[in-house]
Amino acid sequence: MTTALSARVARFPFPFATDSYRYLTNVEPARTPVTTAAGGWGAGVLDVDDDYAVELAERAAVLAADPTRCQELPHMRVASWDALTTLLPELAAACPGETSLERDGDRWTWRNDLLGTARTFTVGDDDSLPEGPLAFLGSQIQDDVVLLDQREGALWADAGLVTFAADWSMGFDVGMRFLEVHGPVPRVHEAGVVQRAERFLMRLQPGEEYRRTNWTMTVDRRLDTSTETYAEWGRDRRLVVGDPALPDRLHLRVEVQHLIRLGVSNAICFLVRTHLLSLRELATVPEWRQRFGAVLAELPDDMADYKGLTRFRAAAVDWLTAG
Amino acid sequence: MTATLTAPGALRADDGRLVLEVAGVVDEVPGTRTLVLRRPGGGLLPAHPPGSHVVLDCGDRRNAYSLTGDGSPCEEYRVSVLLCPDGEGGSAFVHRLAVGDIVSASRPRSAFAPVSTARHHLLVAGGIGITPMLSHARAAVRWRRSFELLYRHRPGAGAHLDELRGLCGDRLTAYTSTPEMLAAVRAALADRPLGTHVYVCGPTPLIGFVEETAAELGWPGERVHAERFSADLDAGEPFTAVLARSGSRVPVPSGTSLLTALEQAGVAVPNLCRQGVCGECRVPVRSGRPLHRDLYLSETERAAGDAVMCCVSRSVDDELELDL
Amino acid sequence: MGAEHTSVPRWGSEWPAPDPSARTVLLVGFGARGCAITAAWAADVPAGRPVEVLAADDADESVLAVLTARIAGARVGWRLMLAGPEDDVLAARAVALRAGVLDAEIRCAVTSTDRKRVYCPHCRATTTTTAPVAGETPCEGCARRLHVYAHVSRRAGAYLGFMADAEEVA
Ligand code: HEM
Ligand code: FES
Repeated sequence: MTTALSARVARFPFPFATDSYRYLTNVEPARTPVTTAAGGWGAGVLDVDDDYAVELAERAAVLAADPTRCQELPHMRVASWDALTTLLPELAAACPGETSLERDGDRWTWRNDLLGTARTFTVGDDDSLPEGPLAFLGSQIQDDVVLLDQREGALWADAGLVTFAADWSMGFDVGMRFLEVHGPVPRVHEAGVVQRAERFLMRLQPGEEYRRTNWTMTVDRRLDTSTETYAEWGRDRRLVVGDPALPDRLHLRVEVQHLIRLGVSNAICFLVRTHLLSLRELATVPEWRQRFGAVLAELPDDMADYKGLTRFRAAAVDWLTAG
Repeated sequence: MTATLTAPGALRADDGRLVLEVAGVVDEVPGTRTLVLRRPGGGLLPAHPPGSHVVLDCGDRRNAYSLTGDGSPCEEYRVSVLLCPDGEGGSAFVHRLAVGDIVSASRPRSAFAPVSTARHHLLVAGGIGITPMLSHARAAVRWRRSFELLYRHRPGAGAHLDELRGLCGDRLTAYTSTPEMLAAVRAALADRPLGTHVYVCGPTPLIGFVEETAAELGWPGERVHAERFSADLDAGEPFTAVLARSGSRVPVPSGTSLLTALEQAGVAVPNLCRQGVCGECRVPVRSGRPLHRDLYLSETERAAGDAVMCCVSRSVDDELELDL
Repeated sequence: MGAEHTSVPRWGSEWPAPDPSARTVLLVGFGARGCAITAAWAADVPAGRPVEVLAADDADESVLAVLTARIAGARVGWRLMLAGPEDDVLAARAVALRAGVLDAEIRCAVTSTDRKRVYCPHCRATTTTTAPVAGETPCEGCARRLHVYAHVSRRAGAYLGFMADAEEVA
């Protein structure tokens, strides 16, 4: 095991507390450190790790090939500035040596040595940041970003920069109500999970921050599993089954999602930070191997189908439980 | 605009309060005082949407006051307080504050934000109801939103009038006569572009007039917004939790959640959100009527009364017997 | 899927009536059945409220351009009512929503749900089809076989399609 590998294991947000998994409105306050069998995670909102520069290069490539991954309805510009000016200070605090932020009123100067970025812009002045505040934010943090407007007694997914979607399309979902966004998800409507989540989010007050995790599985370290590129990655779900490299190719994909009420715009900022850990890496923690094997074996078929696990689930359970 | 909340502890326990110093006292017009509040050591205060308020500790009560800034992160908050002759609402307390005094305030709370999709914002204010509208107007100027402001004030007592004239120019129309103001409001409601939203803050009859006239003129409720201070979870009445299995009695004071009281008594209860939404902290009830305040239980489960989400819910009766 | 909460619109079995609080109304009918409904609505709007009725074969560019112009000139109190096949109603509703009209200001009567517009995220073309939800249609843009998904965008007025055989090994 290389050191890079164990660092990845040590900070992996392993999401299962029991041997079975069901959908819940599993929100908890942000910035609460979690201890895991291998280490821990969760002390901050932004989690900058060894893959930082690689992932941001990948985001830039995805966006260059398909600009529809960044969506912003015209009324969301204030929210985009708000997200940028909320999260750059957060990043500066997370990486004090490598980044710096100087503010002179609305005139901000941002330096990021991890990427070689140096920019000066004026908050609220669109000309000072030609790519737009949302696209600029997306070039600095690993998280995908969705901004939700609140009106007519609902939340609306009216802007977002999403290059690492787990099987959905920001371009198609932009402008939907929160409940419509979740339309395809099984069980959650009957169980009241998303209705409750929406009421909870609508009551968040300026600056309040919560988080939750979600998970699925991905073949290889492919971050861009959006609906747009399904034609490129869909076959791997089938091909991986007979592949002797299955434990190295198949990954548990965990999203740490933050939910932040932005102060100036009143928008909800939804951050999705994706972590991938191969079954072989996961198995270096015997407790995780046993638990994930059990969760995967017990998962109801409709949930496994929705998550796209059906083709390789049995093979994954076999490998996990053989160890 | 001011609202009085019943008792101290009206906000959630984890609502990290702000300690603020009175950095300036400005007497706007007779009877209306503006407080400038800062962190004692300086530094940025939390940003807030236009129309937000803070809840100030005013001696034995807590009062909500609108913030009048545009909401961008800055080093000072301003609130304007009308001295009520009978001293109701804690205004006398505020009027006694002097530069250098320390007050405790909630973080900003938002319940009256502008609608971002609006094509035009029609702001209607009466009297001290101007305070959230000043915030709206400032933010509209900063973010270049289309707006107009109709403001009724007593002759010679127009709080913030000069400031508003400078800020709004001809987008402000001020009235000292109520019939003229109401006629202007009606005329505006009768003919504004589709996509307009109307916002009103002021005396109850003004709010009623705007709501009724708007409805009569075909405005859907979604386009009409009145400032009402949100009913936060209040501190609640004290009660006693009786633990059926151990027989022990756990007092739950006002302002302390049942979950916290149980934890302090050494009873561990699983929990996650502490907001009544995740469903983790459900506790079975044997007797006594729960006062449900969560978002988790269904109507049927609430009516059954045999379980309570202990992070936010309380008891109607003096005693609540739990199966713990 | 929870019937009331999916993004797929559920049209009530009864047609709505004009909103009594409307001050002016625009009625748009698509096809003969749609136009019969708008005629009945026109008779039901309380006297003294201006009503305009547009009739079209389908939601083509010219009728959508008229709709856009009417919205641009409308004052608060204006209401929109749409009647006809689902694909036309969704397309017209999308134009209105994008222009800032609220759900509360739009009422719809859908006369059939046979035809759908299906958006292909792989090539971004939109195909009109009579395939049912969970059925398949070839994409007019990229010729891929598209699975018609139970997911509808209010802004696009279209169903989501995705490659039906992406997981097949050639
Ligand atoms: C407390 C808040 C939330 C809860 C409880 C929640 C719950 C869920 C659940 C259970 C799923 C299914 C995931 C799976 O099995 O892989 C899901 C999917 C999803 N969620 Fe959320 N969610 C929340 C917030 C959000 C927010 C703020 C957004 C932003 C728009 C969002 C966007 C999505 C999307 C796009 C999907 C995929 C839907 C599809 O298949 O098309 N969620 N959510
Ligand atoms: S802790 Fe989440 S409902 Fe009580």
